[in-house]
Amino acid sequence: MEPREPDEHDRREWEAEFEAASRRPLRTRLRYAFIHTYKPVLDDATYRSFGSMAEYRAWCAESLPSWLGYGPAV
Amino acid sequence: MAPRFEYAQAEEVREVFARHGVRYLFIGRSGAILLGYPDTTQDANLFLDRNEANGAAAVAALRELGFDLTEPQADEIRRGKDFVQLRSGPFDLDLVFAPDGIETFDDAWRRRVEVEGFPVCHPDDIIRSKEAANRVKDRESLPRLRAFRDYWLRTRR
Repeated sequence: MEPREPDEHDRREWEAEFEAASRRPLRTRLRYAFIHTYKPVLDDATYRSFGSMAEYRAWCAESLPSWLGYGPAV
Repeated sequence: MAPRFEYAQAEEVREVFARHGVRYLFIGRSGAILLGYPDTTQDANLFLDRNEANGAAAVAALRELGFDLTEPQADEIRRGKDFVQLRSGPFDLDLVFAPDGIETFDDAWRRRVEVEGFPVCHPDDIIRSKEAANRVKDRESLPRLRAFRDYWLRTRR
């Protein structure tokens, strides 16, 4: 499904979020930005490598649950 | 699962990579977050210059940071395999040697932004790579990221 185009309300809300973030020091921003949510399959191996980005994308599309959002946008 | 990426770890990456002379840029959502984009992510994404010396420096730096790399894995990083996902260290890290949508490392390096000494891809490059990757999650996040780029360009000092 194509995401909805942002409207004026979205833009105002985002602008307020950007303003608020700009007032926080980098240390604080990082503390709240990096979170851990287990992602099935993706987090189940300690190492993976791919010879090309196309190969990586194909693996994501084939192997990861679609709800993770790593598949191609149609 | 590794502990989450924290400011102290970002500082460690900056210091250890600098000491080993690694040429790299923060890219992706973690790069945008360093620029001030309010969002969440799980891993840090680094765009590395692909050449043998840089690959070898990166391996040495990663091992010093605590990433447990076997010799075949270290070889792949030295050779600059396009995309490497590390979940064997003190935090989750993705290494990208050929991100979608960016011609060369040198192009991105010329446009880079320094944030407290962290080299970060320009927001235009972060957006270009997400546009080219064209994943569902990228498509969903791009309107807000573009709005942030406009805000950042307007307000940066």
